[in-house]
Amino acid sequence: MEDQQLISQMKKRDRNALKDVYKGYKSEFFRFASRYTSDDVVLEDIFQDAIIVLYENALSGKLDELKSSLKTYLFSVGKFMIFKKFRDTKELTTDEDYVFDRNEITVINDVYEDDGPNEYQRKVVENFKKLGDKCREILELFYLEGLKIDEIMRVQGYENKNVVKSQKSRCLKSLKDLILKHNG
Amino acid sequence: MDKDTLINTYFEGSLTESQKKDFDHLLETDTQFAEDFEFQRELQKSLKKEERKAVKQMLATMSASEPKQETKVISLRPWLVAASIIVLLGIGSWFTFFNTNNYSTEELYNANFVAYENVVHPIERSAELEDLQTKAFTAYENEDYAEALSLFKTLQEKNNDGYIQFYEAITLMQLQKHKEAVSLLENYIKADGELKDRAIWYLALSDLKLGRIDESKLQLQKLVSLNGFKATAAKRLLEELD
Repeated sequence: MEDQQLISQMKKRDRNALKDVYKGYKSEFFRFASRYTSDDVVLEDIFQDAIIVLYENALSGKLDELKSSLKTYLFSVGKFMIFKKFRDTKELTTDEDYVFDRNEITVINDVYEDDGPNEYQRKVVENFKKLGDKCREILELFYLEGLKIDEIMRVQGYENKNVVKSQKSRCLKSLKDLILKHNG
Repeated sequence: MDKDTLINTYFEGSLTESQKKDFDHLLETDTQFAEDFEFQRELQKSLKKEERKAVKQMLATMSASEPKQETKVISLRPWLVAASIIVLLGIGSWFTFFNTNNYSTEELYNANFVAYENVVHPIERSAELEDLQTKAFTAYENEDYAEALSLFKTLQEKNNDGYIQFYEAITLMQLQKHKEAVSLLENYIKADGELKDRAIWYLALSDLKLGRIDESKLQLQKLVSLNGFKATAAKRLLEELD
């Protein structure tokens, strides 16, 4: 499958693209990474994390003008994480690796260090699910998919930016109220 | 710019320098502002973590439904683990291949010959190890076989490590020089090299390519009786040749 097609699927949060990447590159990644570690559990974990980084950076538009192949990008993320894991920095970059910018490295570190939601975050999600469709949609577009206010206006067909802003504020307020109620 | 817009612009990642200053100032002096911002940041983190969890669960399900690889090899050295993965992959493609019948020796060769992975000299590219061996294996990994061959030849003269013979032989096979490959492989096998069983497999394939069916069969039978590397593949190839 074409890289650009996979990336645009990811931007639409189409998880089939992630499945395709997983199936398409897993054995090759394991072969590639086996020179650093032979622990399959570690490799599986890192490979999945690397796919998540790929996904999040695709979502935020980072990969719109990807300078390398998707595979090189994915494998470079994986390699970055492997070196992080084994505290071995002497080989951190090589000629054929993708050079990440600061934002990308932040995402890699964030995914790598993510040990799941804490108690409060679980509560937020739990109550988020109780919101109406329209609220969930607008909040996800903004906070998860990284769309700007005027992009949401265009995509969702709002009359103007202010309508989007006030709609979003109302949704945040509802969520806050739900969490408070849940606590009380 | 009102406070809400300031926060939105932060999440959009497009605060200007002076807006950033306002933002930081409010964060320190305006508790309501700080609270609003903190809540939104927490929401973003929660949504992201939730999404990651869901993706990981999906991928874990895929991983669990993969056919388990039968790795019965226990006391292999680390580099042989890499090799065993290749073996398993090889066996997989084998089954697909033999769903149909009647192939010429040429086709059998093509279906089976895959250059052996570099398992003896992992290339650490940024390390300042531009020695001959690294150059040779880099050329080999990059499939620049003509270059690899000349480097392996030079290496042979300086260094008597048997595995260089083995990789030189694979390189020769890539360059369609099967006669030369055969003699190197035979030497290597005679010297009881560490990758001996691999060498037997490639010798069998070289013989096959040269149309020396009986010799090829002999090597394949050895693999079957060793019951290790490529034993299943060898058995099937034997059946096909009979």
